[in-house]
Amino acid sequence: MDGQFRLKRDGANLQVNIADLSAIEAALRIKAETPGGEVTVLSMGPAKGAAVLQELFALGVDRVILLSDRLFAGADTLATTRTLAAAAEKLGQWDCILCGRRAMDAETGQIPSQLAAALQMSVYTNVQQLTMTENGIICQRRLENCLTTVPVQQPCVISLCEYTYHLRLPSIMDRRSAKNKQVEVLTAADMGFAGEKCGLQGSVTKVIHVDTKAPGLRKCQYSTAKELAQRLREVCL
Amino acid sequence: MQELLLIQGALSDKGLQRNAAKLAAAGNLRLRIVSIAQLEEAIPEDAIIAQRLLGETGNAKIILAPATVRLRSILPMLAWYLQAGLTADCTHLEISQTGELMQTRPAFGNSLIATIRTVSPVQMATVRPGTFPAETVGELPAVQELTNGCRESAIQWENTPLKAVGSIAQADILVAGGAGVGSMEGFAKLEAFAQKLGGAVGASRNAVDAGYAPYAAQVGLTGITVCPKVYIAVGISGAVQHLAGMSGAGIVIAINSDPKAPIFQYADYGIVGDWETILDEMMEELS
Repeated sequence: MDGQFRLKRDGANLQVNIADLSAIEAALRIKAETPGGEVTVLSMGPAKGAAVLQELFALGVDRVILLSDRLFAGADTLATTRTLAAAAEKLGQWDCILCGRRAMDAETGQIPSQLAAALQMSVYTNVQQLTMTENGIICQRRLENCLTTVPVQQPCVISLCEYTYHLRLPSIMDRRSAKNKQVEVLTAADMGFAGEKCGLQGSVTKVIHVDTKAPGLRKCQYSTAKELAQRLREVCL
Repeated sequence: MQELLLIQGALSDKGLQRNAAKLAAAGNLRLRIVSIAQLEEAIPEDAIIAQRLLGETGNAKIILAPATVRLRSILPMLAWYLQAGLTADCTHLEISQTGELMQTRPAFGNSLIATIRTVSPVQMATVRPGTFPAETVGELPAVQELTNGCRESAIQWENTPLKAVGSIAQADILVAGGAGVGSMEGFAKLEAFAQKLGGAVGASRNAVDAGYAPYAAQVGLTGITVCPKVYIAVGISGAVQHLAGMSGAGIVIAINSDPKAPIFQYADYGIVGDWETILDEMMEELS
C-alpha cells in the first residue's frame, strides 16, 4: 500500500476475480441464445490488466473496455459506482449487466446493487442460477434460508456467485483469430471526469489506520492431546 | 434530535442492537430501530424496499444494519440515494471524540485490519450477524415495523425454503477444519469428533473452496460469524478473514502442524503436530 492506503498493485499478479468468471460465462450463454447478442466486458483497474482481459476475446467476448487511470485508484464503493455507472451510460444500449457478487480483495459485494441504484434499474444479487425461457430470463437468488426464483426485469444488474458457471476454454482457432483484437482503454478524461468525482478524491470513506494484526490476540498455552481432551471434558461434557 | 437508525431484516441480532444502543449513547443520538419482518418473504424488488427505507432516514446520522444477503443489497442502494459512505462487514464500531463513527474491518484480502471514517453527512455500516456477542440488551426503543409497500408486487416470485443449516451459528462447540484437513474423509473424522463433544463442524474458506465442506459450514468474513463457547481450529492457518468470523469465541483451541501458523496467536490453547494423530489421541481420552 502507499501512504494514502491505496492498494499498490505493481508487484501483484493480476487475475480475473473468481465470481466474475461465473458472470462472463453466464453472459456468453445468454449471448448464444440471443440472436444478434453481444457481450462487452467492462473492468476498472490498472493498465496491465489489459493483457489478462485480452484473452477474453477468444471466448467470444465482443468488446473489452478497461477503465484505467491513476485518478480512479483508491475508490470506495460510491466512487467506484459513479465511475462504472458513467461508463455503462457511455456505452449506450444494453439489456443486462452481469457481475461477480463480490471482489476477492475487499469482499464487500456492495457494487452490484449500488450500480443498479445509480442506473435506476432492478437488481438481483447472489444469483446461483439463470434459466433462459421464451418469456425471458429467470434467476434464482440464494438468501440465507431460502431460494428466491424471480423473472428478471430488464434492464438490470445481476450478481453471480462463485462457481455458478465454469468459464469455457478457448479453442486454438479462436485464440488465433482473437489475437489482434484490442482492449479499449478509457481514462478519466475520456469519460469527462475530473478527479473530485472518482478514486480517492471522490471517496467519502477514508482509511485512517491500518493494522497488520487482527483484534482478538490471545496468549496461547501449548499443550498435549491428553491434557486438552481432559480440559474439553470439563467444558463440554 | 439526530438519530442512529438500525435497520433489521428477518432476524434481530441482539448483539448488534446492544452495540447500537451503546453507540447511540456515546454519540448523543436517539436510537431508532426499524424492521422489515420476514424480509426474505418480502417483495423481490430491493430498490422499492430501499426507497421505502429512504423515507425513514430524515434524521439519521448513522445507519447500521446486519449484513444479510438482502440487506447487503438494499443498503448500498440506500447509500447511493443518500450519497453516503457505507462500510461492509465491520468487526468493531466506536464513536470518536468528535462524534464520528469509527469503523474497523478486515481489508485487502490479506492480513490487514483497517479503521475507516466516513466524511459524508450520513455514515453507514453493515455488521455480519453474530459479530457481537449476544449479551443482555438493556432498555431498547420499540421496534418499528415497516410493512407498507413491502408485501405486494406485480411480479410473480417463488421462495423455496432451504434445509435449515443453523446448527453451526448456534453451536456451543464448533470443530472447524481448514485446507490442512486435506479431504472429505478428513472432515468425516472431524464430524465424529464433533459428535463426541456434542458440537458441530465448520470450515475455513480454503476447505470450502477445495470442496471438502459445504459453503453453509464456512466460518469467516464471507461465511458465517460464530460465537461458540469452544472453537477448535483444525488445520486452519488463521487468515484474517477467518479470524473475523470466530474471534468472539469463548475458548479457542488450535491444532496445526505449522508452529508458525497465525492461528496460534489467536488461540488460548495450541497443539503443534499432525491433526489426525492428535484427534485420535483426544478421541481415545474422551471415550
